[in-house]
Amino acid sequence: MTRAVAKLLDPKLRPFTVMAGAIVFLGLLDRGTGYFFSIGTIFSVMQLFATFGLVALGLGLSILIREFDLSVAGIVGLAGCIAVMTGVGNPWLGLVLGLGAGVVSGVIQGLIMTRLHLSSVGVSLGGLLTLQGLTYVLTDNKTVAYPNIAVSLSLNAPIAHLISVRSAACLAVFVVAALAMAYTHVGRDVIATGSDRRAARVAGLNTDRVVIGVFAASGASAALAGVLLSYSLGAASPVALADVLAPAAAAAIVGGVSVVGGRGSPMGIAAGVMTLCILRSGLSAIGVEPYVHDLVTGSILIAIAFLDAPELARRVTAWRLARVERQALARKSS
Amino acid sequence: MSGVSLRSRLRLRGLRARHLVLAIRVAAAAAIAVFALSTPGFTSPLSINALLNAISFIGCVAVGMTFITLTGNIMSLCLGATVSASALVFLASLSLGVLPAFGVAIAFGIVVTAAQGALVGYIRANPILVSIAGLSLLLGGAAFATGGQRIYPGGEGLQVFKGRFAGIPIEALYFFATVVVGQLVLSFTRIGRDMVMVGSNLRAATAAGVDTAAAITMAYVIAGACSAVSGVLLAARYGSGDMELGSGYDYTAIAAVLVGGTAIQGGAGSVVRTLLGVTAIAIIEVVLLLRGFSQQLQYLVTGLIVLAVIMLHTLGERR
Repeated sequence: MTRAVAKLLDPKLRPFTVMAGAIVFLGLLDRGTGYFFSIGTIFSVMQLFATFGLVALGLGLSILIREFDLSVAGIVGLAGCIAVMTGVGNPWLGLVLGLGAGVVSGVIQGLIMTRLHLSSVGVSLGGLLTLQGLTYVLTDNKTVAYPNIAVSLSLNAPIAHLISVRSAACLAVFVVAALAMAYTHVGRDVIATGSDRRAARVAGLNTDRVVIGVFAASGASAALAGVLLSYSLGAASPVALADVLAPAAAAAIVGGVSVVGGRGSPMGIAAGVMTLCILRSGLSAIGVEPYVHDLVTGSILIAIAFLDAPELARRVTAWRLARVERQALARKSS
Repeated sequence: MSGVSLRSRLRLRGLRARHLVLAIRVAAAAAIAVFALSTPGFTSPLSINALLNAISFIGCVAVGMTFITLTGNIMSLCLGATVSASALVFLASLSLGVLPAFGVAIAFGIVVTAAQGALVGYIRANPILVSIAGLSLLLGGAAFATGGQRIYPGGEGLQVFKGRFAGIPIEALYFFATVVVGQLVLSFTRIGRDMVMVGSNLRAATAAGVDTAAAITMAYVIAGACSAVSGVLLAARYGSGDMELGSGYDYTAIAAVLVGGTAIQGGAGSVVRTLLGVTAIAIIEVVLLLRGFSQQLQYLVTGLIVLAVIMLHTLGERR
């Protein structure tokens, strides 16, 4: 019994356990009214998944190699604006240019970090501010409308009432990323770089190339999220997407990406994103106040931070030993 | 070739590198100064006041962030929300009188971040995850308490926190006081020295008998108090508050900390450096404004300069 529980809480399986827990929790709250277990909820969960999922994937990959790519929040906005401004006639052109911007920004930041041996937080913070500035300049500080409504409608068109074209595209990217991580040498290289960069380098791996590649992938992934979101909203604005970073980081970590590096998988990240999306749309489907969602998410994050803390076991043992000793002393004196 | 000459050569190289970094820093500061002073209208009282106001609100948060960065915990994504929430607490408790409300707000800020600091310090929980959790809980709690509305209390005596004293905006005086107190704690108290040690090498500090958990918790306590000061100043300035008040301050604050030259991996830096960082960014923004750059170009140029400065700093400090 305890072994089964331990296995469910094992870092590899835990994201899925947490996701199942969220579904059961909401099912109990719902008490058979059917607001939660409905096709509409599934569709809205998947729409949210499409918004945050790819950003979390990019950020998660960077955490996997012990870096932290803050610039994803800037790329989402920039790629969305570029796509909306260049893709009116031909949406594919906008998509390509948006993705290109993401890749270029990732490669430039990766080069700066590896050539100059700089930390990713500083460089990608500068990158974030620069990308945001660039977005403001491109859009002239205004919301840009996307007049090609046909594209917006077709991206959000439901497939079998469950997912839209947009969320299907996101799922496809996750599947490709998972396959690449599991079955190609790219995945092994990334994990090796994240686990122990020096050892990986000694073993003959060009870790600089892995870092640059991960930042390019992270940029492309965030850019795709921005392009799809802006197309489907039919508008892009330089300010609207600033709050995407915290949920994406939370999702990646709930999804089992370890901040000490080298642990995590795209499917885990998908489960982490799904958990947060299920909570958000599930709670609003049941009709609880919106603030409950923030409180529940915060509590889950605290719980994970607590359980994952490396010193927790030592502190608990020390406390138990102290208690046993105190009891022994009390017995002796009485 | 003996080891002695090799060692002396290395030392010489270290010395040269340090001089080079110093020269770059002085040159950058001089460039900003020349750039500023050659801008017509920069020295007018109006623009100096705008500058002081701009640095005061964000400056307090940046001072707090300095302590978190110094102890090796990178950054907190929760300080902006702490600013807004303590502004709300201040406004809500104004009926007790201005000074008690100030105390309540500071205490609130401290409780919020001390809880996070304890998690990070005592069981080494991940600082970024803990701060995101704190952010969610604060947002949810505030929406629960205010119903998502802006609050406008009718309070008297807010003059203590706004207006001018001897021609200087009072907000700036509070900010400078925060800087002085912060630097004194860092340089002249035992726990301040402990924080730097913890940041530069946690294991060595533990082995040396430093109470690392207490040092980290204290760093978060200071960060909370500083953010609450900023929240109170903002609340007094606008006379109303909501959770948008301090949003985005986290990123501006960490940018100021890094531009000032505090190392992102912790263990090296100071509050005075952060003061310089905040001032440099604010000067650049005011100068761009005075030179007629559009708002959007200001964002872009500031971003590029921050990126460049961060690169220059870490370039000199790498080993």
